[in-house]
Amino acid sequence: MSVGAATIEREGLSRLVSARAFGWLGVTLGVLAFWLVLPPVTARSPVVPLVMGGLGVLAGAWALREGAGRRLGGGAIAIAAIGILLGLLATRSSVEALDSVFVWSALIAATLRAATPLTFAALGGIFSERSGVVNIGLEGMLLMGAFFGFLGADKLGTWWAGALCGIVAGGSLALVHAFVSIHLRADQIVSGTAVNFLALGITGYFFIEVYTDQGTPGDVDFTPTVSIPWIEDLGFVGPAIGNMNLLIWVAILFVVLAHVVLFHTSVGLRLRSVGEHPKAADTVGISVYAVRYAAVVVSGALAGLGGVYLSNGITHSFNENLSAGRGFIALAAVIFGRWRPFGAFAACLLFGFTEALALRLPSAYGEDQAWTTLFRALPYVVTLIVVAGVVGRSIPPAAVGRPYTKQ
Amino acid sequence: MTSGPTVHQPGAAPEPDAGPDTAAARLARWHRAGGVVAPVMTALLAFLVGGLVVLATGSNPIEVYRGIWNGTGFEWFYRVGSHEVGLPFSDARVWFPWDPASRAAENLQQTLLITSTLILTGLAVAFAFRCGLFNIGGQGQYFVGAYVAIWIGSSFEGTNSFVHITFAIVAAALAGAAYAGIAGILKATVGAHEVITTIMLNWIAIYAGLYLFGQGGPLQNKEQVFSPTSNPVVEGAKLPVFWGDPFLQGLHAGLFIALGALVAFWVIISRTTLGYEVRAVGFNPDAARYGGISVARNYFLAMAIAGVFAGLAGAIDMLGWRFSIGFSDIQSSTIGFIGIAVALLGRNTALGVGLAALVFGALVNGTATRNIPPDVFDIPEQAGNLSLTIQALVLLFIGADILILWLWSKSGQRIGVGRRSPV
Amino acid sequence: MPDADLVLELRGITKQFPGVLANDHVDFELRRGEVHALLGENGAGKSTLMSILYGLYHPDEGEIRIDGQPVSIGSPREAIDRGIGMVHQHFMLIPVMTVAENIVLAEEPTTAGILLDFATARRRVEDIALQFNFAIDPDARIESISVGQQQRVEILKALYRRADILILDEPTAVLTPQEAGELFGILKGLQREGMSIIFISHKLNEVLEIADRITVLRRGKRIETLPAAGATEQSLASLMVGRDVLLRVDKAPPTPGEELLEVEDLHVLDERELPAVRGVSLRVRAGEIVGIAGVDGNGQTELIEALTGLRPAQSGRFSVAGRDLTRAGTHEILGAGVGHIPEDRQRRGLVLEFSLAENLALHDFDRAPNSRLGWLRPGRLIERAKTVLKAFDVRGGGPQTPARALSGGNQQKVVVAREVEGDPRLLIAAQPTRGLDVGAIEFVHRRLVEERDEGRAVLLVSLELDEVLSLSDRILVMYEGEIVGEYGPDVTEEELGVAMLGGTKEEVAA
Repeated sequence: MSVGAATIEREGLSRLVSARAFGWLGVTLGVLAFWLVLPPVTARSPVVPLVMGGLGVLAGAWALREGAGRRLGGGAIAIAAIGILLGLLATRSSVEALDSVFVWSALIAATLRAATPLTFAALGGIFSERSGVVNIGLEGMLLMGAFFGFLGADKLGTWWAGALCGIVAGGSLALVHAFVSIHLRADQIVSGTAVNFLALGITGYFFIEVYTDQGTPGDVDFTPTVSIPWIEDLGFVGPAIGNMNLLIWVAILFVVLAHVVLFHTSVGLRLRSVGEHPKAADTVGISVYAVRYAAVVVSGALAGLGGVYLSNGITHSFNENLSAGRGFIALAAVIFGRWRPFGAFAACLLFGFTEALALRLPSAYGEDQAWTTLFRALPYVVTLIVVAGVVGRSIPPAAVGRPYTKQ
Repeated sequence: MTSGPTVHQPGAAPEPDAGPDTAAARLARWHRAGGVVAPVMTALLAFLVGGLVVLATGSNPIEVYRGIWNGTGFEWFYRVGSHEVGLPFSDARVWFPWDPASRAAENLQQTLLITSTLILTGLAVAFAFRCGLFNIGGQGQYFVGAYVAIWIGSSFEGTNSFVHITFAIVAAALAGAAYAGIAGILKATVGAHEVITTIMLNWIAIYAGLYLFGQGGPLQNKEQVFSPTSNPVVEGAKLPVFWGDPFLQGLHAGLFIALGALVAFWVIISRTTLGYEVRAVGFNPDAARYGGISVARNYFLAMAIAGVFAGLAGAIDMLGWRFSIGFSDIQSSTIGFIGIAVALLGRNTALGVGLAALVFGALVNGTATRNIPPDVFDIPEQAGNLSLTIQALVLLFIGADILILWLWSKSGQRIGVGRRSPV
Repeated sequence: MPDADLVLELRGITKQFPGVLANDHVDFELRRGEVHALLGENGAGKSTLMSILYGLYHPDEGEIRIDGQPVSIGSPREAIDRGIGMVHQHFMLIPVMTVAENIVLAEEPTTAGILLDFATARRRVEDIALQFNFAIDPDARIESISVGQQQRVEILKALYRRADILILDEPTAVLTPQEAGELFGILKGLQREGMSIIFISHKLNEVLEIADRITVLRRGKRIETLPAAGATEQSLASLMVGRDVLLRVDKAPPTPGEELLEVEDLHVLDERELPAVRGVSLRVRAGEIVGIAGVDGNGQTELIEALTGLRPAQSGRFSVAGRDLTRAGTHEILGAGVGHIPEDRQRRGLVLEFSLAENLALHDFDRAPNSRLGWLRPGRLIERAKTVLKAFDVRGGGPQTPARALSGGNQQKVVVAREVEGDPRLLIAAQPTRGLDVGAIEFVHRRLVEERDEGRAVLLVSLELDEVLSLSDRILVMYEGEIVGEYGPDVTEEELGVAMLGGTKEEVAA
């Protein structure tokens, strides 16, 4: 940019700001269309979601016309439309049912539970991508962590030994991905897909080998819950976070830690430099390969820990393909969160919330209603919409996906 | 992401002189350099390492591979000798280069059955790949095609058979195209990465199927309530079986649909302007745009055509030998995912996909539980996981083109750079 | 007898790449406190030699001595440790990070051994900047400062690492003459502080201006080392190329005809949706070459992209031969008689994996006789390619050779051939000679003049001032998205340089 860039920027911005504001207004209205019909407000008239959502669609369309970008404008329209749909559904359901689903404290607890494996994997994804390596293999690393975390806890007797196994398993798979995509300069997406299959094969093999047809036992040392006495008894907060699993706290701690490491340490600066401009890093003496190896292995270890929590903390069992696409949802969270730990965490909370909702919603309509199966697709639908772009275009690290050739 | 938007950064753009390096371009270089030898070595290497895995888990890899080989039915080709030919009113034995009514024949039919489907799911990946898109959504597109084929195939009883089958197949193909087209449109308009969108679409297709054919679902077979499944395909909508016993999963006419698709793939890619555009976009979207080609349109079309192939795969499976789709089928099917390995091993070319589909069809059938004798693997289900591992290894080694090229150059061959590219 | 003042000696450096002998027993020496220019055309082996010195390549043969001691430099890290700093031609800066972050990278000050100490980093950068009299804001992001300032950041990076040997690889390629003047001032200052400087260039005048001694490389060999005093542009040019060269393109006066390109108050946004082209109006007539000069990033790229349909125009209009094409797509614009030599042939101009026949058909593969009703006719493509490749003397491959296998010059010939073959009325050439050797540059220049003489309108955009000056019949200067001046072909580089920095605009405003 040349000297007068600032003036150019100002002219363009004033128009864009109002358009973007309208876009976000549309998003907000769309969310309100759903929120207003839920407890505690529980508006019962279908007019409420229709009007709010309708206004949301209009605001989105306006934003689109004013050049806020297809993502924000279109995203606002999509969210408003979904707000109307969900809002109408809710008004047709009984108040009791709604009250039973939208116990907010329980919903928050469930959201945090569901968000935790995603958060670990997403943090892993951030480290890997910030160093310039796309990690489609998060899914497989999550799965490895889930199985070997469970196996370790079962055979070694303690949850933390299991957790260690899970971390090592995730990290080892990441090492394969790292070797193939860094040293052998393979296409990172092909290599990531390959390690996903590898994880399916390996965990499937050992699962049958060890647990045959009996399934996993129930008397394993699962990850412990942390009860905080003075929070536990608080009215709303108590049920929500007073009795959380240890690994949820670890996940939150790691989010903060990841932020500090990435943006306030020399390690983080070097890592980001490798992902933005590996040759520049190389010319000041940073080993691009070493940084990338470390980042990818750490990413696998983190995803592995997420898997440990998934099997040992949530399901208390293991099944083939337990990860069920969570690695990919985490990847979407990385993009949505613009490659930043707090942003990705927020995205994981959103996806966790939809998963929590998906699990609880069927009860509002009676478990015998076949169509409530469709609610289970909700996390995937929401991820799809988010990837299609509620937010403006996010710009990835400049060198992501490009193998680096040392001269 | 690999093809994410880049920002113009005056004076400071990283590596401004490097040409664009799409996955399709890298792969093309690999093909030129290695010829047919590279994929063959890839496959051999994968089987070798797979054997080491078997060895590590305490089984004898040679026994295992022999068991798998026997399950493929390929021995049918070399069982020269005197066989019963099943002439009516006689027990005549005739010298024949193969055994027309043996276990091997049945196995070969099964292998070719799976091969047909794999050709189509492989083409679904390959076609998108030629346009620079990595379609991991073949599984979901396969499901959508299967659902539509089942729905049409189990309805309209008494319709003329040809009309019924054609209608079901065309509708399934279009459904697959529409479903894959979602990912194509998202890529074309907002640049949403197709790997994430197609994976999400896979899961959405799975839950849609669990709803449609699950307990109380609108398409559930009402007579078979306890293990939820779809209504069966009516007789008139079943694809004719031309080899083997129609009641014991003989080889159906879907094989010809798959072979036809191979030819169509080749024709579109190398002999039409659409194929030219798709390849240009796949190799270098910037140059294509500069040349006046609409990149967005090609992203959409490539995904939609990929969806046609996957939808066809679903249709021939349902109308050819499965005839119904159940809750557990939906949860356990991986045929769409194997298509990824088929396409990449087959170098995204028509001939290659055909051969790779045969390799993987044989592998899948050879590792099916009924084909693995219990004395080879203590738990026969393990063979399936071995096949999964070999797929993964194939993908890894394909990704690791440098490794293959290195081995190739070690074997004393020169890497020819100036080899002809197909016009 | 060894010269005590030698800080650096390269002896018999040889480096072989597949198919190219990049350095053939090259000797080079650097005295303490001198500016030693390394002169040669593109591909002469200058960058390779310096990359070996900086540890990026390993020589096949030869010896490096620093302060008389033989050393081996295996990586940039070792080069830095031995006091060598390098300012690369393509800056090794991370656009999204700040000046201070870029400078301290890999040698960051920390608190408690872990946390980045931004305050100290900032202070150290300010200290060094002050010491060497640079003006720089340590908190500015690289992407928001000018190219000239970015280059200073590169120099500061070397100084921060206590370099006493500084290599500058084609440092003026991205600068205006004024900025180059400022750079020379800085280099003189560094020289006074005892810094030894290697200055790589292919521009004769600046080498004569800045250097104490000059080493000329040609085709990987050292031709001669001579003192700058007494050398002339002509003598250096013949050493560099090996024969007498025309420094200016020979051409007849233009005979302009009808207006073929009319641009009226065009506004275009860049990637970040900020205005890049702000109200450009211009005309190009048949039979003339109109050159656009300007520093990179002043809207030239966006202007060309808008004119070729690759980027939508926000407002305004343009027409080619009277036909309004403001809202037309690329396909329609190319069909309306526009040829476009893009600024980056590898990114845009060619599909490197395609054969030459396929590349030549990039604009007309979907028209008869190359295809019919959607069916491609590969035989026709090959037939056509045979004739075209012969006519344009493309070497290194036939119709079915992939474009990747060709040299840069031959690749550019293919692009030029395709754009000219379509018989366009308007030819847009963006940096048509970037990265080419002298022979190929001559070819492209001659061809552009021929096209002009055949009655085409030619719009030339180049960052190379001498190229604009030697080819254009009229010169427009672009600054911050606007045309700030129009000049005849007899304008001086200095006048253009002032305009390129917005000089005339200020005067008009005042």
